[in-house]
Amino acid sequence: MLKPFEQTFNKALSYITVGLTVAMLLVFLVYPVSVILVKAFFGPHGFTLSYFGLFFDNKVLTHSLLNSLLIGFGVMVGCTILVLPLALIQARCQFWGKGILSGLLLVPMVMPPFVGAIGFQRFFARRGSVNLWLMDWGIISKPIDFLGDEHMLWMVILLEVLHLYPIMYLNLTAALANIDPALEEMATTIGVPRWRQYLDIVWPLARPGYFAGAIIVFIWGLTDLGTPLLVGFHETLPVQIFHMVSDVNENPMGYALVFIVVVVTVGAFLIPKWLMNPDKYQMISKGHRGQGLKSLSLGPTALVFLLFLGVTFVALIPHISVMVTALSHKWFMTPLPEEYTLSHFKEVFGSELSLRGIQNSFLFASLATLLDVVLGLMIAYVVVRKLIPMAGLLDALAMVPLALPGIVLAFGYVVGFAQTPLDPFDNPVILLIVAYGIRRLPFMVRSATAGLQQTNVSLEEASLTFGASRFATLRRITIPLVSANLLAGSLLAFSYAMLDVSDSLILAMRDAYYPLTKAIYVLFLEYGEGEFLASALGMIGMLILALCLVGASLILGKKMGELFRS
Amino acid sequence: MEVRFQQVEKHYGKFVAVKNLDLTIKDGAFHFLLGPSGCGKTTTLRMLAGLESVSKGAIWMGGQDVTHASPQERGIGMVFQNYALWPHMSVRKNIEYGLKLKKLKGAERQSRLDDAVEMTQLTRFVDRLPGQLSGGQQQRVALARALAIRPKVLLLDEPLSNLDAKLRIEMRDNLTRIHRETKITTVYVTHDQKEALSMGSAISVLHGGRLLQTDAPRALYHTPNTGYVASFIGESNIYPGTIQEIHDGEGVIATGFGALRGRLGPGSFQVGEACEVSLRPEAVLLANAGRERVNRFQGTLISTSYLGESEQWHLSMGEDLTMKVHVFHGGATPKPAGEQVELFVHQDDVLILKIDQDLGQGT
Repeated sequence: MLKPFEQTFNKALSYITVGLTVAMLLVFLVYPVSVILVKAFFGPHGFTLSYFGLFFDNKVLTHSLLNSLLIGFGVMVGCTILVLPLALIQARCQFWGKGILSGLLLVPMVMPPFVGAIGFQRFFARRGSVNLWLMDWGIISKPIDFLGDEHMLWMVILLEVLHLYPIMYLNLTAALANIDPALEEMATTIGVPRWRQYLDIVWPLARPGYFAGAIIVFIWGLTDLGTPLLVGFHETLPVQIFHMVSDVNENPMGYALVFIVVVVTVGAFLIPKWLMNPDKYQMISKGHRGQGLKSLSLGPTALVFLLFLGVTFVALIPHISVMVTALSHKWFMTPLPEEYTLSHFKEVFGSELSLRGIQNSFLFASLATLLDVVLGLMIAYVVVRKLIPMAGLLDALAMVPLALPGIVLAFGYVVGFAQTPLDPFDNPVILLIVAYGIRRLPFMVRSATAGLQQTNVSLEEASLTFGASRFATLRRITIPLVSANLLAGSLLAFSYAMLDVSDSLILAMRDAYYPLTKAIYVLFLEYGEGEFLASALGMIGMLILALCLVGASLILGKKMGELFRS
Repeated sequence: MEVRFQQVEKHYGKFVAVKNLDLTIKDGAFHFLLGPSGCGKTTTLRMLAGLESVSKGAIWMGGQDVTHASPQERGIGMVFQNYALWPHMSVRKNIEYGLKLKKLKGAERQSRLDDAVEMTQLTRFVDRLPGQLSGGQQQRVALARALAIRPKVLLLDEPLSNLDAKLRIEMRDNLTRIHRETKITTVYVTHDQKEALSMGSAISVLHGGRLLQTDAPRALYHTPNTGYVASFIGESNIYPGTIQEIHDGEGVIATGFGALRGRLGPGSFQVGEACEVSLRPEAVLLANAGRERVNRFQGTLISTSYLGESEQWHLSMGEDLTMKVHVFHGGATPKPAGEQVELFVHQDDVLILKIDQDLGQGT
């Protein structure tokens, strides 16, 4: 029996958590999105569908929709092809250096793809490194216009794939690790060939996990603003929406565009669920670690190394290109710069815009992470310990932001909070922190949930039997036990907040409030030295994030890889 | 089908999981591989299934060398410890899947399915998903699935370990009945000696990757070949001692509480050799005043625990030696601790064993 006080505490915690979560989501998620949806259908003269009529009459806009869908699908397919062999090897084989290789695969996440786009243009321009090399070696006689209009779509897809594949990798390896190897062994004993095992057993069981990753990759690819913006691929929905933010009061088409993005997003989440309706089964046995893993000998291990390192290297090309650009002094008509210099970094550290960008990003991302830790831990605790009826609903609610494109949220904030104390035209700080936080809340909830699920409730009960209060137990027992998960979730939330593009570009309108990413964008737009400075600032951001992640992996040790799977 | 392991070894790097295993499993046997966790029993089973490669030696099935054969070439049916039911397939599909791949069609497939389902009493559940079944039912599906392909050898990997005590006893009877009906050579891995003793036609005891003894249940209990087996199968009091006399398969061993006359276990013994002696707690009897002259000794009662039909006495035998004794028809009042007790053991119940250098002493 719980003491009356414990019951009160549990109740209070549940109500506060539920209340806070619901209030946060209502004010900062439901409200701004509904404002857009309503405005998409109600003009000055009441209900209208005319915006959508105008949309479908407008060639540029319909092309934008088509292009964005193509990018989404392209990114999804690209990630699948790239990741599938890696994930299968990771889940089914044992080899020396597996942990390190798996970890390296995640490294490219430390830079948003739009920064990579800056360096990429240097490499792939008509007179860029790749063309010059190819001509030097006599493979081509005329430069290929990689960045020409007809190739821009592929450039965007490529950059996005190289950035987003780790998400697919984490999802797929987690899904495969959940399949008991005995299920395949059983099939082997009755003579099912390997390929049929993949088809009949592995695929149906891994499908939900695969789609969970595929959907995220699809939506993030489709709604990414930074990459097409910097590549100069303007016929995409996010870029069109971005351009409409500033004159949203005169041109209501923005609402219709955002509405369409919402429809596509919701569709992307619902259609696979609906298709997989018959898959309502429970996993009855989980995989035993270590058993059923195939040990690779030297030869295959070398091939696996080649594959993993190869993918990592290719995914790091954008990073390398940014680095080379940032360090280049004289770079005309040669594959690589003739001279290198640190002067761009000096300039960046001398410029108020850059320094303030770094400062702002640190501040906003830290506060957003703090918000996530508090809210995420409370939600996870209430959900895992089932302190309220229908705790699953709270969990689902907290996951909603995962499906919500940043561009939709940012647009909603601009519209919804105009002429309020939170108006981003005046001061976007609170909205930026909330936007950063709310969109990364799912990572935190997932991390904390995973930690709490692994922490047996009896550990808490044991503490309670010694007379510790519920609050002391939470502080002394529970939180320390899940601290590794909280740290991992925080780092993920922090990193993604630092890398955030759409919220930052749209909400920060005055340079005093520019975060890092917006500062990079603004620098890039400057003539002359712009791209070098932007690259240098991008490099600095990248280094900060890399340091954070390396630090975390030092703290967490080998657990790191496991935690990021949640 | 007869199964033979010929000097089989399994190495994981430097670790030897199974060491020089020579074992023949007779055709139609219900053969148990028994041992504590980590003894190599599951590894042995998985090598037989073809799921684990053999580092050294050979495995023969029905006169054929299958050491390097793939699992499907061996004609085995396996029940995994956690059942390994495909969670997305109904019971029917789980069972039929293997049959479909064997290209069995129509009536033949149906009859095999019916047979397997009937034998395991699953007829009512064929259209359910595994997740909708209880543990016992899941276990039966795993069994039906393995039986449906008509294996030449049935492999069971701790099939009852995930069931509660009552179900376990029920399933023991089920398995015994199915074995009787099908006569399939069955290899059963367990750490539960009661399962092995009650069901097996032969039991192999493994420890630390080594096969210690293979025998029928009664023989194994009556004549364990090491102190370890004696205390692993049932309970036993094991004492060190020195052989004083040997004649005709019998010997006298000097122990810390006097000389005992008894049977000599397997192996050759010499006078003066350091050995072990094993006394089953239920074989130690209360001595009637004055009747028996040999194998009579005294102990001091430390404690008793009452079990209803019997009670267990814990005695001090001096020199840091203790003894467990099962006493049937105990008195209505408990014996007080500290009392001197006169005990006796039949010559046939004293087993003198060689000390296994690798195992060290028993208990």
